[in-house]
Amino acid sequence: MTDPQFEEILRGHLPFLPADEPLTPDTNLTDHGLDSLGIVDLLTALEGQYGVAFVDDALTRETFETVGSLWSVLNGLRPAAV
Amino acid sequence: MDTAFVFPGMGPSRFPEVGRFMVGNPIARRLLRRADEVLGYSVIDRFADADTDYDEAAQVAFLVNCLALAEWARQHLDEEPALCTGASFGQKTVAGFTGALSFEDTVLLTARLARVLDDYFAIQHTDIVTQSFVRVPEDKLEPVLAELTERGEWYEFACHLDAGFHMVNLRESAVDWFVTRLRSVGGLPLYAMRPPMHSSLFTGLHATVRDEILPGFTFADPAVPIVSDQTGELLTTADQVRTLVLDGFVRPVRWPDAVATLRDRLVGKVLVVGQDAMFGRVDCVVRNFEVVAVNPRLAMQPRRQPVPAGR
Repeated sequence: MTDPQFEEILRGHLPFLPADEPLTPDTNLTDHGLDSLGIVDLLTALEGQYGVAFVDDALTRETFETVGSLWSVLNGLRPAAV
Repeated sequence: MDTAFVFPGMGPSRFPEVGRFMVGNPIARRLLRRADEVLGYSVIDRFADADTDYDEAAQVAFLVNCLALAEWARQHLDEEPALCTGASFGQKTVAGFTGALSFEDTVLLTARLARVLDDYFAIQHTDIVTQSFVRVPEDKLEPVLAELTERGEWYEFACHLDAGFHMVNLRESAVDWFVTRLRSVGGLPLYAMRPPMHSSLFTGLHATVRDEILPGFTFADPAVPIVSDQTGELLTTADQVRTLVLDGFVRPVRWPDAVATLRDRLVGKVLVVGQDAMFGRVDCVVRNFEVVAVNPRLAMQPRRQPVPAGR
């Protein structure tokens, strides 16, 4: 569903996620340790990796609820050809 | 290079996150017993049942946990601070840690201030909240605030945390517009907090604390110099610490100023003592110091026993 770079970046921001636990679309990000300042770092990393800018509705709480919600918003920000 | 102890402001802290420390750590247990005696109720029981984040018992529990962790750090990390500072709520903690107030008085003051705050904001400024946000650099924030003023809205900074990271007091009815506008420039709104804090509007609260609460407490000169989170100044006298606690109601926190003083005083390592998701993690802190998060999680990790000499 996601790509390896996304998973690698995301795992680096989920301190409570065991290394052997797979990420699924329903994996809750807060439950695995993503807090407010973690979100800020994660945004910077994703914006740098994918050349996108999170603005407007992409910056609501809902975006950062699950792996699936974040991936969906990220894909919506990326150029269609990518 | 010196070490500083940094006592964080209070964030939401639910019992399950810290209960194990409060029950299992001998220093915390001992201090909680003393706090129970002062207040006449079980802090831990009342905290466990608290239905709001900033309940009186939750505030006392946060204070006691910070002070217990400071003692733990002295014992187990062998750290002694050359300087201390406390952010927002941490002003009370640092007063207790440095002996400017006795432990018992710090507990009692914390509980009394919690009650006064509840009473005050139940009828005063009922429409004001403190909104935090991050990722909004100065050049982007300025026009947003100008528009807010053009809309006839009042605002005031409650806390400057770091570059692009602030808390602003404003009317609750303006929050939706404000956070939408912040998002439009790439900002990330965090929380709208109630009760609000640190505003020049709260002069009635300031007067009540000055005239009815603080006269019952005797401050002493702090054993360790305190850096003011309001001005970055070094505080060394009883009266300065009393003023720090009192003026916290009406003056904004200027965290980068406090951090700059620590840096100027050649602090190399800071121990962030207490549950913290903010003050010890902002860029102006992590960029300048070696940071050790002294939190319940660290204190509850199994530690190797020291090997007696001669073995």
